[in-house]
Amino acid sequence: MIKTAFFTILTLVFFYIIWINNVFAPHETYEMPEQYKKIAEDDRYAKEGKQLFEQNCQACHSVRYDAVYPSAIQANPNLKALQEQYGKVLPRDVYESAFQAELAQLKESFGKVPPDLSTIYIAKGKEYLFNFILEPQKVLPGTSMPAVITGKPEETAKIISYLRSVSEPSSSEKAKRTLMGIGTIAYLVVMGVLIWIWRSRILKRMGLH
Amino acid sequence: MLGRIGKWIDERTHLSDLWRSQMVDYKVPKNLTFPYAFGVMALVAFAIQIISGIFLTMYYQPNVQTAFDSVNYTIMKEVPFMWLIRHVHAAGANFFLAIVYLHMFTGIYYNAYKKPRELTWIVGWLIFFVLLMTALSGYLLPWGQLSYWGMVVTTEIPTSIPGPLGEAISVWMKGGYELGQITLGRFFGLHIWLLPLILLGLVSLHLYLVRAAGISNPEGIEIDKKKEGVPFHPYMTLKEAAYVMGYLAVFFFFVFFYMHHFLPPDNFEPADPFKTPPHIAPEWYLLAFYTVFRSIPNKFLGFVAFSLILLLLLLLPFLDFSPYKSARRRSLFFAMYIVLVISSMALTILGAMPPTPTNAMLGLVFTAGLFSFFLSLPIISIIEWGWYKTRGGDKT
Ligand code: HEC
Ligand code: HEM
Repeated sequence: MIKTAFFTILTLVFFYIIWINNVFAPHETYEMPEQYKKIAEDDRYAKEGKQLFEQNCQACHSVRYDAVYPSAIQANPNLKALQEQYGKVLPRDVYESAFQAELAQLKESFGKVPPDLSTIYIAKGKEYLFNFILEPQKVLPGTSMPAVITGKPEETAKIISYLRSVSEPSSSEKAKRTLMGIGTIAYLVVMGVLIWIWRSRILKRMGLH
Repeated sequence: MLGRIGKWIDERTHLSDLWRSQMVDYKVPKNLTFPYAFGVMALVAFAIQIISGIFLTMYYQPNVQTAFDSVNYTIMKEVPFMWLIRHVHAAGANFFLAIVYLHMFTGIYYNAYKKPRELTWIVGWLIFFVLLMTALSGYLLPWGQLSYWGMVVTTEIPTSIPGPLGEAISVWMKGGYELGQITLGRFFGLHIWLLPLILLGLVSLHLYLVRAAGISNPEGIEIDKKKEGVPFHPYMTLKEAAYVMGYLAVFFFFVFFYMHHFLPPDNFEPADPFKTPPHIAPEWYLLAFYTVFRSIPNKFLGFVAFSLILLLLLLLPFLDFSPYKSARRRSLFFAMYIVLVISSMALTILGAMPPTPTNAMLGLVFTAGLFSFFLSLPIISIIEWGWYKTRGGDKT
């Protein structure tokens, strides 16, 4: 009994420690005022954020999972035909070979093709993005990304809201998933209990209890 | 009607005889403890990996250009419910390994590796080893930053073998000097076909051996199953079914609500050979080996040390030749078992900490702890043979 308790607790503590001591958690933390966090987490600002993105960032960046391509590519007449053939979200190999010239141009200007931002929200988190977009040099000294909307935290938060809406499921989808999760877990727990009760009955009848 | 179809089939297959002989007439002791259920849970975890993996292959593209998008766009965003399948597969790999570890520690505790179950243990060890390979190869497939750089580090491990051999193994693993399409292709083939197929074979063999030798006993004494045993069905089947439901409830809690540990943020950036991510570390189930490797200043010795640990684990049935079984009745063994458990846990936790000199020292201490467990077994066995003889061959 004591041994059972000892090993159970030891195992649980062990898994708890490696859970909180996650090797993959970001090692740096960044500040982000509460009011801007609220904006970034709100789906309603995503649309406005997209417009701001088009005005400020699309010159250089793509959000391929939302069929948003750098301005030079957006202006290329081939784009439409390709989208008709492959769907709005172009496969990366098609995209990179069709727009080699535009991408090479971007690479020449900045030393590298500015990254696609489709999954950046999950990869970096809103706090990092907020600080980086506002003052790129402060977060990543020597970066070739210019400070485009420095001093406009609200707009920045709205852009983040847009990027989040591309990376993450919408809040209604999240609510559905939560419901699904609760349903699944409840089903399993109820089944477990029912099986246990049924088993006790059978065993009693068999005289095994 | 259904009954008649069933009868028709049964007259030709004799499935009901098989059921009776294998499930009802097969007797198990009544005193099996909860940890005996880890085996069934591992089986369930394996089934979950295979089913979810088959669905993933329908949309996954093993191509360096499109792999990342096929996972993060097609699977995660485009096709309904595929996000769930991916969550299940990624969390499932971690749960599978956790269960396998618990299963192994249970086996060690009750000395379930001893005669007549040595082969069961050896096949189990092979499952563990192939499972690690399967998880490693699967981790490359999403072709994110962690996938890529994790594999860069993994394929560097053999280069700690001096001379051209290590380099050759490394190049052979990658299929070239760099990680690229060839690497992805071969790891895809390994991950979805070869390794799961080997696992399937090994798991079947393992189950057969478990049946052939009969289940071990927490008390360390083989019972007379004809007299004291209870029918496997319904006594064990329903008990384990209830436990499995509990296990699945915990599993799906993580699948739906706490996935960020199993799909780390860094892996949502596509692989970039020119940009090393700030922190590369193996998954938690490899951290203990990683700490052993890292704490020993000489790379080759580090490689030898963690290979030795794996080897000693394989040879466990032969290191421990005591006439007694189960930590319940072996106090010396129990003490060393605690050393083993604490050392393994500490090494894993240290693997997640920065490599400071103190941590490296602690790493060495616990590595020594791990080895002392294995090396103490022959000594304990000799002592216990002495006791056994003075008691006149009484096993209790
Ligand atoms: C003039 C071109 C240009 C514009 C306009 C621009 N960026 Fe960038 N951005 C870059 C380049 C180049 C990089 C790569 C920087 C590096 O890796 O050093 C970059 C990198 C980034 C990153 C990745 C940072 C990281 O740590 O990997 C994010 C996020 C980002 N930009 C967001 C934005 C947003 C949001 C806007 C609009 C407000 C924007 N950028 C406008 C050129 C630009
Ligand atoms: C047997 C045990 C198995 C283990 C331990 C395992 C483990 C893993 C892991 C850790 C990943 C990376 C998860 C991620 O980050 O998304 C992965 C991905 C993948 N696995 Fe498996 N797997 C197993 C079996 C299978 C089988 C049998 C198949 C196919 C028939 C399969 C198909 C895939 C595919 C297509 C991917 C890439 C998609 C993705 O990353 O989500 N796996 N696996």
